[in-house]
Amino acid sequence: MRVALATVAAILFFVSVQLALAEDIRLAPGDNKDNYESADYHTDSLALPQRIGAPADLLSFATRKQTGLPAPQHPANNQPDAQKIALGRKLFFDRRLSRNGTMSCAMCHIPEQGFASNELARSIGFEGRSLKRNAPTILNVGFYQRLFQDAREFTLEQQVWSPLLATNEMNNASIGQVIKIIQSAEDYTGLFERAFKQAPNMQNIGMALAQYERSLVAADSAFDQWLYGGDKSALTDQQIDGYELFIGKAGCVNCHLIGTQTALFTDQRLHSTGLGFQTSLGDSDSPITVQLAPGVFTSMEKARVESVGEKKPNDLGRYEVTLNPADRWKFRTPSLRNVALTAPYMHDGSLPTLASVVKFYKQGGVEHELLSPLIKPLNLDNDEQSALVAFMQSLTGDNVSTLVADAFAANNDRAHNNNKAAINRTAE
Amino acid sequence: MKQFTTHTLPRILAIVSLVWASAAQADETCMSPYMAKIVGQEDVVYVWTLGEEGLGDEQDKLVTIDVNPSSPDYGKVIHTLSVGGRNEAHHSGFTDDRNYLWAGGLDSNKIFIFDVHTDPAKPSLFKTIDNFEQASGGVVGPHTFYALAGKIMVTGLSNSADHGGRTAMVEYSNTGDYVATHWHPTDQDLRGATKSGKYADGYGYDVRALPRRNAMFTSSFTGWTNYMMDFGTMLGDPEAMKRFGNTAIKWNLHTRQPEKIFDMPGAPLEIRCAWQPNHNYCFTTTALTSQIWLMYEDESGEWQAKAVGDIGDPSKVPLPVDISITSDDNGLWVQTFMDGKARYFDVSDPFNPKQTYEKVIGAQLNMISQSWDGKRAYFTSSLLDNWDKKGEADEQFFKAYTWNGKQLELEFMVDFKAEKLGSAHQMRFGAYGLYGLPRPWEKPANASAGKAASTDAAN
Ligand code: HEC
Ligand code: HEC
Repeated sequence: MRVALATVAAILFFVSVQLALAEDIRLAPGDNKDNYESADYHTDSLALPQRIGAPADLLSFATRKQTGLPAPQHPANNQPDAQKIALGRKLFFDRRLSRNGTMSCAMCHIPEQGFASNELARSIGFEGRSLKRNAPTILNVGFYQRLFQDAREFTLEQQVWSPLLATNEMNNASIGQVIKIIQSAEDYTGLFERAFKQAPNMQNIGMALAQYERSLVAADSAFDQWLYGGDKSALTDQQIDGYELFIGKAGCVNCHLIGTQTALFTDQRLHSTGLGFQTSLGDSDSPITVQLAPGVFTSMEKARVESVGEKKPNDLGRYEVTLNPADRWKFRTPSLRNVALTAPYMHDGSLPTLASVVKFYKQGGVEHELLSPLIKPLNLDNDEQSALVAFMQSLTGDNVSTLVADAFAANNDRAHNNNKAAINRTAE
Repeated sequence: MKQFTTHTLPRILAIVSLVWASAAQADETCMSPYMAKIVGQEDVVYVWTLGEEGLGDEQDKLVTIDVNPSSPDYGKVIHTLSVGGRNEAHHSGFTDDRNYLWAGGLDSNKIFIFDVHTDPAKPSLFKTIDNFEQASGGVVGPHTFYALAGKIMVTGLSNSADHGGRTAMVEYSNTGDYVATHWHPTDQDLRGATKSGKYADGYGYDVRALPRRNAMFTSSFTGWTNYMMDFGTMLGDPEAMKRFGNTAIKWNLHTRQPEKIFDMPGAPLEIRCAWQPNHNYCFTTTALTSQIWLMYEDESGEWQAKAVGDIGDPSKVPLPVDISITSDDNGLWVQTFMDGKARYFDVSDPFNPKQTYEKVIGAQLNMISQSWDGKRAYFTSSLLDNWDKKGEADEQFFKAYTWNGKQLELEFMVDFKAEKLGSAHQMRFGAYGLYGLPRPWEKPANASAGKAASTDAAN
């Protein structure tokens, strides 16, 4: 009885802390650049010492069905477990898991930026090396059948080794080296042994990270409450118009699926919209507009830009996995859940806003032989375009603030622990 | 300009700095007024050098170059000290006693503290600080190392929460112990500062002090994401181009509190304060908008900031990077990276700078260090590893010039690529006289110090 009461009290405490903090969380970069194009821009920056947050009950998110999404699925050998989630969460924020101690998963999948990166188009990793692609969100990543934008990976457990080893991401020297880093860090002592009954190894490192990622489920959005929860006031009229267009005239739902019980907003398949084609074969010699300060722009010759830079890399999408010419420029349909938080958009981050994405679809993508037949010029007036945008803004999960606050707390724990336990990298 | 008057608080500081200033002729003019000075000719220049993939041992190193024309090794690299890794070597600065040179890595956040007093020709690694990010509470990118009395103020460029531009200054003791983190004011927490305009971005870059006015100034650049990114890629990324600092801040030197935030659009970088006791002003230049800005104390004792001139054609983005003020405050050297030019501005009227001279130093150009008498100026090429030019234009050099007031004359250069050293960045001067040591080549032949130095010189 006493235990039960204590549990209830603890849960109540948890809930109240989460509610209090979730309100304070800004789901956008703490360094606000809205309206930066304009000379009227003013800052609205947050103080980093106040990025504190509070731990959340991630196990419940990993197991509970949220309105609008199916119940989370977990592999038979990696069932949700609070200790494993906590361990994965610790690993996700650990900057020591990179060759020079500067990159954690969270440096590209930034919590308040939709667990993506709002501040640049294509990620950069180890020593500033460029990646070809925009960092996608980790929210709801457990619902994808295949991972990465070219669908080259199949489980989250395996996926983690790509960034850990990629020379332009975390660039660890070897799998063994990652394991050694963890083994020699005092603050990991006993954690793997308790969670997995094993010392850290290639498999359980992936399992722990995957457990954390699968707990980042974020649905029960205004849209979900409206369509599946029976709350007819949850969407504005404009958003309802947008929904009608989305499933009707604009044809978005052909790829970004909405079911009768749940909506993943993805068909899990790959299509070419023409963006990749454009980069590979389109005109790339015209001058570019460069912003120098709020309201201040200049035009720069391509040659001048290239004197100090590398060329934008081609991205042949799915073709790079299969080498089948029919797969050129195909990318997996991303879920649109929480899409309002994850600008800039598309595989290369080349479209800055949801409005620019809608405009892109309105013109029918980029015409080429492999363009998906489901994409064609759309007859959408300005109001209709705005309605589509407003609809996509209704897809933000109502617990995202709680997940972000939890992530802030994880990062603060990291700073505290790592200070006590620097990794021993002494010479042999 | 307002005449210098002694207020209560700055009085003690003013006296201290005057004592030092009168103690000797200083070396380069960009140093802290708290610092011990070199008498006369500098003997060596320490070049904090970035390791380059595919070149030599591929890692960052401190390169020591003999620059004393009377030395048998004049013009030669006499010592190199590799530190491991490509840390994004950038700036360095001495402790006030000038015994140690602190050099930072903008990427790895390591700070290497070199002993330069035991043998100025052969610096040794005294200590490495490798918990800067954790100790400071999340500051990333140790940039400027600025000597205060018994302390080193380290400016950060970024943070480990989002690798953006919000950051802090981190204060250390001379022996490398963490003292405090001073966050730059943001809208959420102005920390008592006043916004004079629209911005409180919380960004940082350089720091300089004017002790007699109890004032400290900081400028603002960009976070890790941008300074580590391929430069061309960043220019083509509209999101990234929004992430530059647009502010400079006047701080209370004594209390370390920010007092006034100035709007200064387009990434103000290096700050150089005037030396003359009645010159209460500092210059800075904005990298992206190519303007010279003056922060000055007005008639009523209030600090103001004003754009006082353009550098080249701002629409072409010449990218002014390092600047250096002459010790009489009459001249300001401004280096523009994109066209490789050193430009001399007459700033005898600080409100009306006039460019009077320019010379192309190389295909790209960043840093300058000039002697106190202004007769010698040294230049290096590298800006940031991923911002430097690509291909042939990626010249990497150290060039020593003399300046007669009208012309720069090249005395010698060290080709950092041919010598397989890396990319040459910041320079600091060293001299035997500072530590009461004789110059080795002026000593009797049997002295051991002389022998060590000449053995060294063999490479
Ligand atoms: C340097 C930036 C960077 C780092 C560090 C990084 N990621 Fe990513 N991540 C990306 C980018 C970019 C992609 C998209 C790559 C692609 O589609 O080919 C991605 C994709 C993913 C995906 C697939 C998402 C999807 O929609 O299919 C997952 C899951 C993921 N990352 C998890 C992690 C984990 C776990 C770590 C740490 C072990 C990590 N990432 C580290 C940038 C990064
Ligand atoms: C043929 C299938 C298809 C149709 C129809 C379609 N999409 Fe997409 N959508 C995709 C694919 C594939 C991508 C990824 C493209 C890329 O990364 O280059 C994508 C990307 C997006 C993105 C960017 C998401 C992100 O995280 O970067 C948005 C927003 C979007 N679509 C909205 C819409 C809207 C609105 C419509 C209707 C007007 C629509 N889509 C129609 C397949 C489709």
